[in-house]
Amino acid sequence: MWQELRQGLKDKNFEVMTIACDAKGAAAVEPFITAAHQQHPSLLDEKLRVAELYDVRNVPAIFWIDESGRMVRANDPVYAQRRNRETGETTINEEYLNAVRDWVANGTKSAYVMDEGRIGSRLPDLEFDDVSAAASFHLGTFLALHGHPADALSHFKRAHALRPENWTYKRQAWNLGDIERDYGTNFQEALKDPASGPFYPPLDLVGSGGS
Amino acid sequence: MTTATVLYQDLETRTDGARPTADGLWVPLSELKALTGWELKPEGVCKDEVCVPVPDARRHALIRDEEFSLTEFARLIEQPVARDENQRVWYFGPPAWEWKSRLASRMAPDFELPDLSGRLHTLSGLLGKKVFLLFWASW
Repeated sequence: MWQELRQGLKDKNFEVMTIACDAKGAAAVEPFITAAHQQHPSLLDEKLRVAELYDVRNVPAIFWIDESGRMVRANDPVYAQRRNRETGETTINEEYLNAVRDWVANGTKSAYVMDEGRIGSRLPDLEFDDVSAAASFHLGTFLALHGHPADALSHFKRAHALRPENWTYKRQAWNLGDIERDYGTNFQEALKDPASGPFYPPLDLVGSGGS
Repeated sequence: MTTATVLYQDLETRTDGARPTADGLWVPLSELKALTGWELKPEGVCKDEVCVPVPDARRHALIRDEEFSLTEFARLIEQPVARDENQRVWYFGPPAWEWKSRLASRMAPDFELPDLSGRLHTLSGLLGKKVFLLFWASW
């Protein structure tokens, strides 16, 4: 789907870049990349280092970066297609795709470009606890991938406790283990945990929900 | 002395010269650079263009008998640390200047990552274009 967005805008100084942040690496993501026939740079971030650099707290997370390398939107939680849970019907997220097209056409004048305050709400300053959570998460991932999943658990749990709003730490850890056996919960229950906050932040497409 | 694995951002090294204590990790000074990229110079502990001066009051806690305390240095530069006792693995995250206000400038941090064929790509290679950057995962 992003492929089609790119196709329509490729002559307008626009590029799509996707990053798979997945500790299981190419084996886990290659089928998706191949199925989508992607022509844009489609990259692997096996150690979730770049995800950490951008403070990606859940996926999908989309950033708009202008010609000078400045972020003008950050951590948008958007799928290209939306599926109605009741009917199963899939529709293209035209509202968001049109916002991208508007930005490509109008640059900083686009109504969808976030101001400092709104972008700051998507990229809060980090505290020592936040980077300590990252350290525990990375250690847990290393242990899980090196044949020590039982030892990984305490580190994943520490990461989750220190930074409950980071769903990346949770979803990757569940994927490397078993959510019910290892964490005594399930996805639906985890969603309700008040400490975690929302699974996805409000899209705040034109600023009505922002600061 | 014991075996330990030190994960120092992108470096992954096993050493036989580690000496863990209740709350710290000492390594031989001779292995400091291989384990961390840092090295001891007259002006301080240095890597690339950065030198961290060693305050006299903390010198003894940092360097002693040809050993260097990675954990004390982590405290000095506000680096997060995680350790696993069973597997003797230590993880050291980025120092304060890399994570504090990192995104405050709103400049998108540059990076280099491979695609499926192993070819490396950078974000800075796209300067001059608008970039739609999407993070996703299979999980």
